[in-house]
Amino acid sequence: MRSYGLALLSLAVAIGGIVGYFSLLHVAAIRNHPALYLAALALAAAIAAVASWWAPRWPNLAALVFSVGLLVLGGYYNFAFARLPAAASALRVGEAAPDFTLLDAAGQPVSLASFRDRTPVVLVFYRGAW
Amino acid sequence: MLTELGDAGVQILAVSPDPNQKSQELAQRLRARYRFLADGDLALTRRYGLLHARGGPRGEDVPIPTTVVIDRQGIVRWLSIGDNYQVRPDPQDVARAVRALP
Repeated sequence: MRSYGLALLSLAVAIGGIVGYFSLLHVAAIRNHPALYLAALALAAAIAAVASWWAPRWPNLAALVFSVGLLVLGGYYNFAFARLPAAASALRVGEAAPDFTLLDAAGQPVSLASFRDRTPVVLVFYRGAW
Repeated sequence: MLTELGDAGVQILAVSPDPNQKSQELAQRLRARYRFLADGDLALTRRYGLLHARGGPRGEDVPIPTTVVIDRQGIVRWLSIGDNYQVRPDPQDVARAVRALP
């Protein structure tokens, strides 16, 4: 019975880790640390590996394949798929940000230089609504 | 981030390739402090060196998510260029960078 328990525990940790991470995405402290779900998957794999070593029966081996599979997928996602290309950015701390003019939602032109000597600017580039 | 910066007397400019129709109403309400700017052809994104070619969900070009704090003299004082699209700069860090401006 113990061997089944560990297989189930491994499954719970793997699924719990992923579901937990994605359901708490709105919490910045969680979202900014994807290593959390990788850690949960690694833990699940470790539990399944230990169980498989003690008792190489199908529930443990299945849990091992499952958790290692998810760990590989999660690792690929985090380290490859979600990676952004290195920016050949013109921006440098200490240098002037190039001036520009773009239209806002009301069709009014807004230029960066218009805020000179008035207010600081927080400029955010984002992907837009998906 | 808006609540972090609150009434700090700072202007937030949010740039994306979106043509802005979706942001219209929100933009009206926040206009004094927060402007959504449309960079439809990504010309500004390219000029700033922030293009992620074919990085969008349908293979379209998108900007690399980036946050820049610019002081009253137009100088960049804090910069966060994304390297993993799961991770955004902590609004606390942005607010701290703004408060640190002379």
